[in-house]
Amino acid sequence: MKESIYTSVCPGCSIGCGLYIREDDRGAVSIDFLKSSPVNRGKLCRFGMRLPHYYSTPATGKVEGLGSGTEDAVRAAASRLRGAEKVAMLSVGNTTCEEHIAFMKLAESLGTVVHTGIPVYAELPPECHPHLEGMPFTDIENAEKIVLFIDPYVQYPLLVRRLLAAKRNGAHITSAGTTELHLAHENRKLSPEQYAELDLDGNSVIITDIHPHTDPCHIRQLLNVVLDTGARLHVVKPFVNSEGVDRLAKGRAGTMGISQIMDGIEKGDIRTLVLLDSDPVELMPDTDRAVEVLKKLDNLIVISSRDSLVNAIADVVIATEHLYRKRGTLINAEGKLQENSGQGVDGIDAMSMLSRQLGADGFDHRQMHGYLHERMIDTLASENRKPEYCRMECGTVPAQQNGACTLEYVYNPFMWFSQPDDNDFVLLDRSMVKSLGLKKGGTVRLDSEKGSMNMRYRVEKVPEGTILTGRKLPIATGTVTKIRTEGC
Amino acid sequence: MTDKEWEPKIVAFCCNWCSYGGADTAGMGRFQQPSSLRIIRVMCSGRIDPMHVLNAFLEGADAVLVTGCHIGDCHYVNGNYKAEVRYRFLEEMVRELGLEPERLQLNWISASEGEKFANFVRDVTAQIRQLGPSPLKPEGVN
Amino acid sequence: MVKVGDRLLGYATDPDVRSRGASGGLVTAVLAAALEKGLVEGVVVLKRMDEYEAIPVITDDVQEVLASGGSMHAVPVNLAKHAVGRKIAMPGKPCDVRGVIEQAKRNGVDLESTYIVGLNCGGTMHPVVTREMLVRMYEIDPEDVSGEEIEKGKLIFRTKDGEEKAIPIDDLEEAGYGRRENCRYCTVKIPTSADLACGNWGVIGELAGNATFCEVMNEKGKRLLDNAIEAGFVDVRPADEKAIAIREKVNSAMLSLGSEWKEKVFTEMPDQERLSYYMEQFADCIHCGACKEVCPVCTCGEDSKCTMFHSLADNYRMSMYHMVRLLHLSDSCIGCGQCSDVCPVDIPVTSIFRRFADPAQKKRNYEPGMDLTRPPFLEVMLK
Repeated sequence: MKESIYTSVCPGCSIGCGLYIREDDRGAVSIDFLKSSPVNRGKLCRFGMRLPHYYSTPATGKVEGLGSGTEDAVRAAASRLRGAEKVAMLSVGNTTCEEHIAFMKLAESLGTVVHTGIPVYAELPPECHPHLEGMPFTDIENAEKIVLFIDPYVQYPLLVRRLLAAKRNGAHITSAGTTELHLAHENRKLSPEQYAELDLDGNSVIITDIHPHTDPCHIRQLLNVVLDTGARLHVVKPFVNSEGVDRLAKGRAGTMGISQIMDGIEKGDIRTLVLLDSDPVELMPDTDRAVEVLKKLDNLIVISSRDSLVNAIADVVIATEHLYRKRGTLINAEGKLQENSGQGVDGIDAMSMLSRQLGADGFDHRQMHGYLHERMIDTLASENRKPEYCRMECGTVPAQQNGACTLEYVYNPFMWFSQPDDNDFVLLDRSMVKSLGLKKGGTVRLDSEKGSMNMRYRVEKVPEGTILTGRKLPIATGTVTKIRTEGC
Repeated sequence: MTDKEWEPKIVAFCCNWCSYGGADTAGMGRFQQPSSLRIIRVMCSGRIDPMHVLNAFLEGADAVLVTGCHIGDCHYVNGNYKAEVRYRFLEEMVRELGLEPERLQLNWISASEGEKFANFVRDVTAQIRQLGPSPLKPEGVN
Repeated sequence: MVKVGDRLLGYATDPDVRSRGASGGLVTAVLAAALEKGLVEGVVVLKRMDEYEAIPVITDDVQEVLASGGSMHAVPVNLAKHAVGRKIAMPGKPCDVRGVIEQAKRNGVDLESTYIVGLNCGGTMHPVVTREMLVRMYEIDPEDVSGEEIEKGKLIFRTKDGEEKAIPIDDLEEAGYGRRENCRYCTVKIPTSADLACGNWGVIGELAGNATFCEVMNEKGKRLLDNAIEAGFVDVRPADEKAIAIREKVNSAMLSLGSEWKEKVFTEMPDQERLSYYMEQFADCIHCGACKEVCPVCTCGEDSKCTMFHSLADNYRMSMYHMVRLLHLSDSCIGCGQCSDVCPVDIPVTSIFRRFADPAQKKRNYEPGMDLTRPPFLEVMLK
């Protein structure tokens, strides 16, 4: 009857909810509530409650399809990387700062940079990035006016309590997203020209998120509003250490969004891809297509703690321990540095070994941690470094064609990490349900150019012609997919 | 729907041996009955889980009737006794929820009491018509 | 040899355990002795992380049991589910004990092989609220706190440099701090349904602070205490009349304060407003299922009515999950407050459940978690 307890952070999104992971003597994992965590008071969303499932499939080391230990996998990776050209490296922030720094060291010795996969970061000038850093969640509670471009219930549930607290404190909440939110006073679809109508000021907070498929144009428009009105922008991110990996990124010049990387692979500009706890198959809206593209690579090297979809097609998999067992720190959307109680350093050691085999220096956790502190002092020293000159032009987003239905992804942790979930339905507008003559408990048939499928549905107040989904669907060709369904 | 008078939806759970027979008798006796009724036949009123009743409300029922054999006449000896214990409990819960007590009613009806069944349904329908649609009714359901 | 019904004052014989424990280390020593002598296979202990954080773990290491102890008012956990399917001894506040009894009623716990040492409890505090309270009300840095206790209606914090600051709990709660809401109106302060009911109420004079008042509630309690005495882990002496009277006085003062709170929290709501209040509250639910997961009286496991008959695809005003939970908890809710603690959208789940459970339980004169003689009243008993 011996139990091991780890204090860790939920890997679902960048909120960074504290929690306990309990391992019993048979290795079974369960969660417990870390009530003293100031981020979430121990509260967890649906994804957090299902973490035992997320942690039930550890990665296994592999070389060309055959199981292998870390040393062999590292040796195989080294021989593939030696002299490799057109190398791209991706780490979206699903692991600790220290591991990410080790990955950056590795990139240095390979003469390349680490991409974080988010195009907004790649497209916006580096000096504008501080605008995209989060702020303390308590500031949301004290805002007078809040404009939401996310669906907190589905995407970032632990923000809901902050918003409700703000509401109790007298804040006015406007939802400008696609679904009608119960907590909002006002739900309205806004075009960028209408942002001025919101009448925002220094006590207002705009909440949006950036993820690998966020349209940089949307963020530019919001940045302009922020600069015009003095409102504050709170940007939530989808991965546990998104904030950390962005703050760590040096110079950011030449970084790519995940779609650009996939395009690069298709065009042959990228021949070797090294991934650190980042799975393009999970991250791309079209799973089949992503697999097809990745198969074109000469070398696909995966360093991962989870047995995710990309591991199956990787040439080399270097397995590391689960996130909760890792020694290291993570930075959440508030900019709060949180530390794991685990002591595992498999990831850093493997990358150090790889680095040495490539002829560069090795490193250890202590060094990486030291480097992190240097960098953090760097960024903290330049407080108030939100320059005014980030005002940017942006073409207009193409208006939706009338008469066409679109299937839109509502990105949430279940979608990114392809975890089983019970939201196996799409959201439909009532008038569409009526016009299609759908019956309760029945399904709706969705046709796209990729194929057709039947889905259960839920009636919700969504804009006419929009079909929302909280899980990845095989008929989707992108974040937004054109759907041909009778009545559209 | 707007031009017609609103008609409540009433779900009645009837046991196979008595109250369903009562409903049948009511039909055969040609007693005038409102069109508001939806009968769900169960083998015994003891089979009615409080959950079934709550689900009926959530699905849009304006009233739910729990009916069965008279106490002492249960085909399965004591099923209706069990139904009553659960009903009393459910009654409190529905009241605490804030639903009008008229929306949940219990009645013991034997297979021969067709008229009683018809009167019961007619009375309830009249009461509910007064009260209006159930506040638990999902949006878009009539 | 002690007898059932004995009221005693006791403490650990080991001076180290005695000084570290909250009041004489009796509970720690009794649990350690139960493990040492093989009465149980494991003991549930609160593994201390810091002043505001601890996590229950099960250990079979006597040293780990002896190293635990110390009161932790800012750690609101419920231990009942740790007893499920195991042969263990555990300490427990009244709500922990009541949770175990409710589990036993539904065959989740075998009471024959589970030993519970109950602890008097006047309430627990939420760690995050406590930190905030320290800064705002006590003007103490939460990191400087070295200990805390409740005495004569005051909450006292000691700092590392030996200073003490006391504020009446009433004042704290007036300002929105202090105990968790459900603790304020809790109706059981002395865990009489445990095997031993322990606490510092009634310990006065020279023994104050280093002995525990202990009542032997049943045969198992006798076995526990005899075992600890035989093993040489604890010493006991009979409590005098004065001690017994003081304990009773503290208890009744706490209970009457509790009923005042109850009136404050559960204000009358007109019929029409109640339904919209419940619907409004539950509309924010994200269906994480955490309130069921932590519920110490829920024995349903994964395939339960509340989850299996609920679908996220339904667009009900309130979900089947809420309905079934309300129904099931009406007869068994003990008001431990865990569900409110873990609700990610801050729905006041406990007070909503209590609004249903309180009248139903009162009407049937049924207090869940107090004994095994009456089954849950939703269970239909045939004469």
